Amino acid sequence: MHRSFLQKLSHFGMAFLLLLSISGCHFGADNEYRDRTHLSQNSAITTITLSGWQSNPNESKILAAALDRFEQKYPEIRVKYEVINSQYMDVIKTRLIGEVAPDVFYLDALEAPLLMKYRVLEPLDAYITPDFNLADFNSALLQAFQYHNQLYGLPKDFSTLALFYNKKAFATAGIEPPPQTWQALQTVSQKLTRDRNQDGKIDQYGLGFAPELARQTFMIRAFGGQLINTQGCAAFANPAGLKGLQAVVDQYRRDRTAAQASDVGATWGSEMLGQEKAAMVIEGPWSIPYLKETFPEIEFATAEVPTIGEKKGTMAYTVAYVMNRQCQHKAAAWKLIAYLTGTDGMKAIATQGLTLPARKSVLAELGYENHPIYAAFVKGAHYATIWQAGEYLPTISAHFNNQFLSALFGEQSLETAMKKAQETANQEIYLSN
Amino acid sequence: MPRIWQRQRSQEALSGYFFMLPALFILSVFLVLPILSALILAFCKVQLLGEVRYQFTGIKNLLRMIADERVWIALKNTAEYVAIVVPIQTILALGLALILNTNIRGKKGFRIIFFMPTVTSSAVLTLIFMWIYNSDGLLNHILSFFNLPTYNWLGDPAIALKGIMLMNIWSTAPFFMVIYLAALQEIPASLYEAAQIDGANRWEQFFYITLPSLSPVTFFVIVMGIIGTFQLFDQSYIFSGGSGGPNNSTLTLVLLIYNYAFSNLDMGYALALTLMLAVVIMTVTLLQRTFFREEQVH
Repeated sequence: MHRSFLQKLSHFGMAFLLLLSISGCHFGADNEYRDRTHLSQNSAITTITLSGWQSNPNESKILAAALDRFEQKYPEIRVKYEVINSQYMDVIKTRLIGEVAPDVFYLDALEAPLLMKYRVLEPLDAYITPDFNLADFNSALLQAFQYHNQLYGLPKDFSTLALFYNKKAFATAGIEPPPQTWQALQTVSQKLTRDRNQDGKIDQYGLGFAPELARQTFMIRAFGGQLINTQGCAAFANPAGLKGLQAVVDQYRRDRTAAQASDVGATWGSEMLGQEKAAMVIEGPWSIPYLKETFPEIEFATAEVPTIGEKKGTMAYTVAYVMNRQCQHKAAAWKLIAYLTGTDGMKAIATQGLTLPARKSVLAELGYENHPIYAAFVKGAHYATIWQAGEYLPTISAHFNNQFLSALFGEQSLETAMKKAQETANQEIYLSN
Repeated sequence: MPRIWQRQRSQEALSGYFFMLPALFILSVFLVLPILSALILAFCKVQLLGEVRYQFTGIKNLLRMIADERVWIALKNTAEYVAIVVPIQTILALGLALILNTNIRGKKGFRIIFFMPTVTSSAVLTLIFMWIYNSDGLLNHILSFFNLPTYNWLGDPAIALKGIMLMNIWSTAPFFMVIYLAALQEIPASLYEAAQIDGANRWEQFFYITLPSLSPVTFFVIVMGIIGTFQLFDQSYIFSGGSGGPNNSTLTLVLLIYNYAFSNLDMGYALALTLMLAVVIMTVTLLQRTFFREEQVH
């Protein structure tokens, strides 16, 4: 009896060990790429992981081709590229915490202040050689990735916003040239807003717009308002900050000559333009390949964003390659960044026309300055507001978007809504510290 | 004799625990440990990015919760959602079950059709419904065909949550219907026969036989419904792209917890909110239990 119990015990013990070893194998499989880097170290091949998002399949194809050329140039380095398309920053932040983040990844200027502050990125200054020619980069873009005099990211590209308009709709309404001022834009919108089949429902709005802080920050600045104060807290709810936004609300509520994408059953601005539900939209260069591919029959042109408050203004968005501080092969990771942000690498990727290259020489070489469609974006770069404002911008932006929508729906006045947005955002910032 | 018995018993207990060891190990690592750490961290300020740091802050997270307007909005939305969805889906489930319990033709076919939405992934359902709800979509076309008012289902803060409610009732009611259907078949036919002999009409049979016999199942259905609706996340996440908009109208507690935990990386506060949600669900369930018990006594 006693013996058989011991026997049983040893059987359980073995079964338990077996179970543990199985689960151990499983844990091993999860860390596959780390193991591979270990293996490859022996055979003198380094694997670098790279993560980013993709706006369209074509973008990934071009990047993959560039990575192939990189691997040919540096046969000792392999690049493992992974696309994270949904909730990119949530995924990256979680992986940074779990210490399984990629070696090199895309970072939007918007999120850069937070990651730079928490020192999870590798400063790049030490790696940059004179022949990399850092001065060739647009300095405003570089600034977005600087923190305490150190550079943490190299911009891969940037985009500005410009006015897209449907040429046919403009010709039908007899409008020439495109509006230069915001007032003209509002007048023109009235002519362009049409109910083609007379069913009481508007088929074509003058302007399609996105009620998001990411798209509207330059409107806050148009009359001297500021998005944040020196402490990084929201500071836009004052008469100067609201004047530009009021113009947007008025056009939407009073004139009814502007629409959001969801009003007309579209998902974003350029879809509205493509479906002829809006005659004008303010969008970035990423719309150009989209419109050409999805709506080839639409004849569109671009112009600079109309001046508001006699000042030119638009938004600029930039994304950089950054290096994980925990990266095991920093020299190889730097080679990858240097290649992709070098003249050749940047040119290869910029030719698809989704965004503008961050290097001035590449921008000049591609001839975008005189290109009939791209010129408006290049000009915008001189006066654009970069979409970045301290580490609390995601919080401020979330509160702004919520309250701005409620003002658009007429639930409260713009002033009340914006005061509430500012208060709640600042309260959250205060409480999270 | 008793001593040998005792020894045998303790040995049996020991080998019993050995049998359970793998399960105990897994449960303690993946269930007990996370719950304990959640309980502790809910009273801390946690910094995860870069250098990991914990700082005990006492009830600061709880005070913050009371002052946080978005928590109240999320609670209000969630409560509204529970209050509307749970009764409707329970009544609908019972109704459908009663219909399917009669001898209508094609009973099995109907069961399959009704059960389809429940087995479909909620993410897929949400995407399909977003297409239906599109302001240029199917639902508005049908409404305008009958000259009814159309809505911006996705963009209008006053409507967006109702859209999610509609979708959820449609997809979960059939699941509870199946449970009701099983319970209905358990009620002995002799009860109905006796009632008929006593001269009870159909309504009386329903109210005095069917409903009381179903009351344990109803308790289960309502508890599961409340837990499920309190934990609403995926639908409103997909609907609003993660923001809980437009104008916080689809913000639910779990979505808020997700946002604080993964977008703001404010893990301590998110855990405090989780604790609050658990307490709310437990309270509601306990309240219900006392309520149902009283009914059984009568």
